[in-house]
Amino acid sequence: MDYRWPDEYLAFRDEVESFIHEWRTPELLAEQRELEGAPGPLSRKYYEALQKKGWMRMCWAKEMGGDGRDPLYQFILVETMEYWRMPYGNLTFTSVAPSIAQYGTEGQKAAYLPGIWNGELTFAIGYSEPNAGTDLASLRTKGEKVDGGWKVNGQKIWTSLAAHSTHIWLATRTDPDAKKHQGISVLIVKTDSPGVTIRPLQTVSGLKTYETFYDDVFVPDEDVLPPLHGGWSIIMHALNHERVGLSPTSNLARNYDVLVEYLQKNAPHKLADPVVRNRLAELRVELQRHRALAIRNAVTIARGAIKPGEASMAKISGSELRYRITTLAMDIAGRAGGLARDDARSIEGGLIQNNYLASPILRFGGGTNEVQRSIIATRHLGMTR
Amino acid sequence: MNPDLSETQSLLQTTMRQYLETEIPFDRVREHEEKRVADAELWKAMAGQGWLGIPLPETVGGGGAGLVEAGIFVHELARRAVVVPGAEVMTAAVMLARHADGDESEILAALVDGNAIVVPAHLEAADDLEKVDAAVDAEGRLAGAKHYVDYADFATHHLVTARGTEGLGLYLVERSAPGVSTEALRSTGRTPQAIVTYRDVPARRVAGEAAVGQLIDLARTFASTQILACMEVSLEQTVAYTNVRVQFGQPLAAFQAVQHHAANMCMHVESSRFLVYELLDALEDGRASSDDAALVKASLSRAVPEVTMLGHQLHGGQGLIEENDLYFFTIRGKDRALAWGSAEECLAILARDVETPPRWL
Ligand SMILES: Cc1cc2nc3c(=O)[nH]c(=O)nc-3n(C[C@H](O)[C@H](O)[C@H](O)COP(=O)(O)OP(=O)(O)OC[C@H]3O[C@@H](n4cnc5c(N)ncnc54)[C@H](O)[C@@H]3O)c2cc1C
Repeated sequence: MDYRWPDEYLAFRDEVESFIHEWRTPELLAEQRELEGAPGPLSRKYYEALQKKGWMRMCWAKEMGGDGRDPLYQFILVETMEYWRMPYGNLTFTSVAPSIAQYGTEGQKAAYLPGIWNGELTFAIGYSEPNAGTDLASLRTKGEKVDGGWKVNGQKIWTSLAAHSTHIWLATRTDPDAKKHQGISVLIVKTDSPGVTIRPLQTVSGLKTYETFYDDVFVPDEDVLPPLHGGWSIIMHALNHERVGLSPTSNLARNYDVLVEYLQKNAPHKLADPVVRNRLAELRVELQRHRALAIRNAVTIARGAIKPGEASMAKISGSELRYRITTLAMDIAGRAGGLARDDARSIEGGLIQNNYLASPILRFGGGTNEVQRSIIATRHLGMTR
Repeated sequence: MNPDLSETQSLLQTTMRQYLETEIPFDRVREHEEKRVADAELWKAMAGQGWLGIPLPETVGGGGAGLVEAGIFVHELARRAVVVPGAEVMTAAVMLARHADGDESEILAALVDGNAIVVPAHLEAADDLEKVDAAVDAEGRLAGAKHYVDYADFATHHLVTARGTEGLGLYLVERSAPGVSTEALRSTGRTPQAIVTYRDVPARRVAGEAAVGQLIDLARTFASTQILACMEVSLEQTVAYTNVRVQFGQPLAAFQAVQHHAANMCMHVESSRFLVYELLDALEDGRASSDDAALVKASLSRAVPEVTMLGHQLHGGQGLIEENDLYFFTIRGKDRALAWGSAEECLAILARDVETPPRWL
């Protein structure tokens, strides 16, 4: 037992921080907002620099083209980047690329990985459908075998980034006769393929996402991830890659810091109020509770152990604390706490308000918290299914 | 970053757990609880096992281990709800071994053997941990009263906070000295607690003002450790019970709402385990501050009623009868939530400095 972070991890955190301060310009942030996180000219340059650092693949096995570093480095990268809300690889990097590296054919690796690294290729994730949300395996978008490939028909929803992406990572039912989890394949679909239609959906936090429609879209055989009909395990594997930093403490702590800084500058009388100070003290307690679960999960994953309950605990606690911390921060800040990011008077670009409105997605997305709680009960505590 | 017990730490944990589970039936705990007297036989037996001196130097016969090991000792005792001053004696022993001004090896050797039993006596009538009125005069005579002193009568000595001619400090007082009188209290936890009055009692100064804060931090941390144990067992018993209790044709555990209550209990237990042991580990080499100890105590003191009351919710009527073992952890947990700073008191301490950014790594 030793709860200290060894010096090399702390040195890495410092290295990441100075990199962030070098690149975190107002122009880059503006571009990020505009493109909803998809790469534009500035962030392409930023990604190039990030790529040179080798951080995005540092924890991959050497055989997969990585550096074989301990996954706690990934944890530290995520925590540090998340504090400053810097992009460090969206799902294309954390989910698609590792899956191609692990499951892809040699041809697929050659065709996609280099482009992903230099930011030319970006993927949207096409899993959810109007009638397949939490129960993802009931998805119905279907692929029929045709000469040289597959003909895809169906509809996806919440295909985030679709309008800014070159490809869609599409979960498709390729064997309608197999059991629910067994007839699914992952197809790589170009967003400009004939038959693909993209329609925007506006969410309440300001973030856009998309519905995507597939009408007789042709996907060549070489763009089907092996094993055919074995896509469910690829989807699960892809989700696994997000687990180590799945619920950072730092971006929650940032809300706290932004609030305190705001009060110090603009409302010192509120900060002097013992009731307010007490509420802030409670938030500190909650932040430490979450930090405990997040680090616990990261350490377990870094050791290569599999404890799904720990990931679930971190996911639930982070997502639910986001709502609690932001609602309280808005209350304490007062009317200014309710200003949206398109108001110049908003606090730190409306960060807290925006986090409040965006908090539901983290609770029901990525495996809804109700299901996560049952995972804790059955798999961690051994309760009867 | 390694939050897991080492091999020797795990060995201590399993050895103690097995020993207590086989040697101490819960009915024996009930007997001592009813009479509100310590289990002297168990204390002797533990001296025989060499557990009483775990964090003490080997030169006095101790185990030469650290606060994490002392924490494991406190944790395991609390898991069995036994009526012995494990946390109290560990607090006093560590203070005497590490923070005393002079050489206390004589009393430390007696502590290891179980012949001396030293418990802290700090809180006064004002119910304010920061207020000390007990006074020691120039002749070294103590006058004052201490409240909610755990195991005051089982102890051979009290480690008393008082103001002397050299200022605030820790004083060692013999329980059997004339002028020491006790008045038993009947508190929620059903362990022996008393108001102790000291009238012109010989008191020996062993440490200065800084030690008083350290004593509170340590006692507070061990109280958090005891709370952790209570929540842990409450959850374990709840999982076991709901797995066998059948209603509507299925075990209660298979109902999603029941699972969700248990998951919420579990998140408290797991985050608390990390926080308590991180604190013990950090106190060992002085990395932890008083704020850290207060934060952990605030967290656990808030969590324990939630966890134990959900345990009751899922046990239904069974959990409320005293033949069932669940209640031990409900009452001990709540009692320790109040001891050495309630959630409210600890939050008030944290509230003094909310400007420093919270730690996230
Ligand atoms: C902004 C945004 C971006 C997204 N981005 C993507 C993306 O890029 N790619 C993608 O594929 N998907 C994406 N999603 C979809 C997201 O993964 C789904 O919203 C999520 O899986 C939940 O599905 P659903 O919305 O259909 O809710 P439902 O499945 O209908 O669930 C609604 C609620 O019902 C309850 N519930 C459901 N099942 C159970 C159960 N078994 N037990 C108890 N309660 C249950 C829970 O409370 C749950 O939260 C995005 C969603 C949003 C809002």
